[in-house]
Amino acid sequence: MLISYNWLRELTDTKLSPQELRERLTNVGLAVDAVEERDADYVLDVEVPSNRGDCLSHVGIARELAVIENAGVQSPKSQIENANGKTSDFASVEIRDPDLCPRYAARIVRGVKIAPSPEWLRKRLEVLGQRPINNVADITNYVLHELGQPLHAFDLAKLTESRIIVRCAEKDETITTLDGVERNLDKEMLVIADARRPVAVAGVMGGEDSEISNATTDVLIESAYFDPASVRRTAKLLGLHTEASHRFERGTDPEGVSQAQERCVALICEIAGGVATEDALDVYPTRKDKKIVSIRPERVEAITSLSVPTAESVRILKSLGFSLSEEASARLTFTVPSWRHDVAIEEDLIEEVARHTGYDRIGTELPPSSLSGEYHSRERHKRALRRSLSALGFDEAINLSFIELTNDFDLIPEFGGLSEDNLVTLTNPIVEEASRMRQTLLPGLLNSIRHNINHGIRDVCLFELGRLFVANEPGQLPREREALALAATGGAVAADRAQADRELDFFDLKGALEAGVTAMNLPPLDFASAEVIHLQPGQAAEISFNGVRVGSIGRLAETIAGQFKFRQPIFIAEVDLTTLLEIEELPVLYSPLPRFPSILRDVSLLLDRKITVAELLRAVHDQKVEHFVGAKFVGTYEGEGIPEGKRSVTLRFEYRADDRTLRDEEVDELHWPLVKALQENFNAEVR
Amino acid sequence: MSGDRNQLRPEDLIGAINAAYGNFDREIERLPDTSESLEAAEKHLRELQDLRIKYLGKKSELATQKKLIRSIDPTRRGEAGSNIQKFEQTITQRIVDKEQALKHFIENARVERESIDVTLPGRRPRPGHLHPITLMRQRIEDIFVSLGYAVEDDREIETDFYNFDALNIPEGHPARDPQDTFYTTDGFALRSQTSTVQIHAMQRRGAPVRMIAPGRVFRRDTPDPTHNPMFYQVEGLCVDRGITMAHLKGTLAEFVQRLFGLETKTRFRPSYFPFTEPSAEVDYSCFSCGGPGCRICKWSGWIELGGSGMVHPNVLRAANVDTEEFTGFAFGLGIDRTCARIYQLDDIRLLFENDVRFLEQFR
Repeated sequence: MLISYNWLRELTDTKLSPQELRERLTNVGLAVDAVEERDADYVLDVEVPSNRGDCLSHVGIARELAVIENAGVQSPKSQIENANGKTSDFASVEIRDPDLCPRYAARIVRGVKIAPSPEWLRKRLEVLGQRPINNVADITNYVLHELGQPLHAFDLAKLTESRIIVRCAEKDETITTLDGVERNLDKEMLVIADARRPVAVAGVMGGEDSEISNATTDVLIESAYFDPASVRRTAKLLGLHTEASHRFERGTDPEGVSQAQERCVALICEIAGGVATEDALDVYPTRKDKKIVSIRPERVEAITSLSVPTAESVRILKSLGFSLSEEASARLTFTVPSWRHDVAIEEDLIEEVARHTGYDRIGTELPPSSLSGEYHSRERHKRALRRSLSALGFDEAINLSFIELTNDFDLIPEFGGLSEDNLVTLTNPIVEEASRMRQTLLPGLLNSIRHNINHGIRDVCLFELGRLFVANEPGQLPREREALALAATGGAVAADRAQADRELDFFDLKGALEAGVTAMNLPPLDFASAEVIHLQPGQAAEISFNGVRVGSIGRLAETIAGQFKFRQPIFIAEVDLTTLLEIEELPVLYSPLPRFPSILRDVSLLLDRKITVAELLRAVHDQKVEHFVGAKFVGTYEGEGIPEGKRSVTLRFEYRADDRTLRDEEVDELHWPLVKALQENFNAEVR
Repeated sequence: MSGDRNQLRPEDLIGAINAAYGNFDREIERLPDTSESLEAAEKHLRELQDLRIKYLGKKSELATQKKLIRSIDPTRRGEAGSNIQKFEQTITQRIVDKEQALKHFIENARVERESIDVTLPGRRPRPGHLHPITLMRQRIEDIFVSLGYAVEDDREIETDFYNFDALNIPEGHPARDPQDTFYTTDGFALRSQTSTVQIHAMQRRGAPVRMIAPGRVFRRDTPDPTHNPMFYQVEGLCVDRGITMAHLKGTLAEFVQRLFGLETKTRFRPSYFPFTEPSAEVDYSCFSCGGPGCRICKWSGWIELGGSGMVHPNVLRAANVDTEEFTGFAFGLGIDRTCARIYQLDDIRLLFENDVRFLEQFR
């Protein structure tokens, strides 16, 4: 809001320079964003908090300044001479919806001469960036900036039957507002109507039909109090933000209606001539009760730490317009001025005292220590996970929670099967297509990969930790779970090297996931070949822990890759992190180091390609053979010399005794029966 | 001296040796001290060993003649011995010298050949990077945990009670408008501030409580260089007996000093938030210029940190905390915005594009 320094000086006799004013107003909560010298005046751009509608005028700012400078405010004078006739003789006012319009006052000035405003008035408005129109319109605007009460002037002759009816718009009613735009009204919008049609959108903008023109002689001046929420709704729906709506939305002073009207009428008589009616037709069915708030002086210090003498608290509050209605030693009771909609409780008064005493005078100390700090229970694991994934070359992505409707992905098992019913849908998305809360992180990560590929980066490894959402029973909050997703594509790039050593594959992604799980000190995950909607058959696996499925991993299915226009294989995984983090950590216990060397035996088995290494290893470990420590995977071979449908798998067996070094012959006696058992189980040949 | 015909003289031995070693000079001089290549030098070294065997080995003339010393007249044996020894020393010395020269060359050649360019890049996978928001969140968490705060979190989709009512945001308040807050078709709100966690935390922990809640929040802002419909906030709450605004100031002053440096100053301006009373806007002195004004602080010397204030009694009551016994302060700040300030990021939409060239700039 713009404030003229010269105007303010007329109201307060302030001794502060514009720059000092800027600092002092900022310190009491009216931040001055800029001070600009303009036309022998200074204009201050004041940022008024949304609860301080009372400060949206020169008098409002002057009131704050009066407290700052311990001075007063000179109220503008309104002397109406030669008034004649009763307003009710010329017009009628009816409020049909007193909830939305608690007060409406009309007053008439007859025989005005519409003309351009005098120089001083034009200048006042121009300094504030307002365009002068004609004397009557300018005066209403002037009083708005002076007192904060928006006013409207109707051409009385244009009001059918000279009636003012404050009511909600009827279905399909329209109005052409002053800006020349025809607007559709709805049944909750409050309008000012005459006997026939709406002539103004209440608190927002007048209608073109009843506008003051050069032919106007009699004007009806409206001064009213409208319900803030109603004006806000209407202004928003119509996309009309006006000086008037801005103030009504924040709450004007219902008791200031008459004063502003009188001021306006007096100025019209003085500048545009004409004869005012003797009284206002003031419909004010239910006067609001005055608010009473008490303050205990010691609470000021208890809450702000400021020690303010009671007399000073009283001075600040009185100067702001509060009146001391009762004074007891422990409690001061104040009547809240009608313009202060924001004050209702003791803490509100404490804030008034504190901001005018100065926040800068509040000390700076740490609260006495009484509690110990703690991270979120799983933060330690998540940090380990993030560290290990980033060490393996994965960059952390963060995507928006909103996604488009898609049926292309299998969800984490906790969320069960995908159906449109269990999607959480927004009623008011920013982008119409992205109206669902994500049930999977994968589309977001794939979009990120596409973004990178589109920018010429083909080697991309990303991971994301984020929440997923799924609808619950009707009326219940959606379920939220945290997931971890990984995506990798392109080559395995070494640091500071231009060229990838090799192309990434399934096992890079699997390795990264395993590394993350190990870093969290969780037991290893199981991987089993599976059919997953979004993964390429034959290169897809479900991931489980202790027989419970937690996610999937594999190569992105061709069909989806096509939609994303990927021309290189993409490997993706998603697991239910909430479930993973509920798994108990492995205990870390020392086991004694072996004292005698191990004996190793490598065996290559030629067997059916469908037999998995996991199966083989499980079978090996199921054999209870003395001194057998375990077997490890060495490699597989397919190709020349290996029949179609078969492959060779090489395993390394380890044997060790705790009390001596095993002899070769001893190991042979243990090893060959074990191998024989495998041969028989899997119909394998030893190569 | 007797005329024993079979008696050998030293001259005989030396003569035989001289005859046999006539080519030695030529043969050893044929081997150069340096070569054009490591392989050639190694070949020369092998040839040198052959020469050693030939001229100094068991079957060499020198060895043969040495054995004959016994057959010399005892009175002249010493002369013969010392002559032969001198000769042998000369030969040995020549071979050793050559050998040293060759070995020296070979060693140098080998070092030369095996020398590496130590400036080539080290061998390691390209490192990944944590998201700048994660990095900033972790820094903030570390500071507050050390100040005795518990890190809390809760739902991202909330009831009106936690998102508005309990935070003293009344029915009809603009923040509740669907223009500003996202709603699900079931009528739930995407949390528009992490202040919701204040209520959950107070309900779970009761008072006294000290907690921060970093997390994702949603507001219906159309994306532009300074807005995203989703961003990250940290909410802080401290409720205890005797908590005042001085503690609020002290805590945030400590925080900004740890985050931006010990010389950082704070400024508190009166403001308005529904959930605090009194309320304050918090600014910190610009970490770049320190006061005089620069591009980063928009020439004001100050940068906005966030909102704060004393917890509104209605909020304490919503969480069943006795407002006479306990007072508290709360504050909220944007992680994204703090990132943008610190890293001088001019378009925060980049935060959610996940462009690798962007992500790899942070550590």
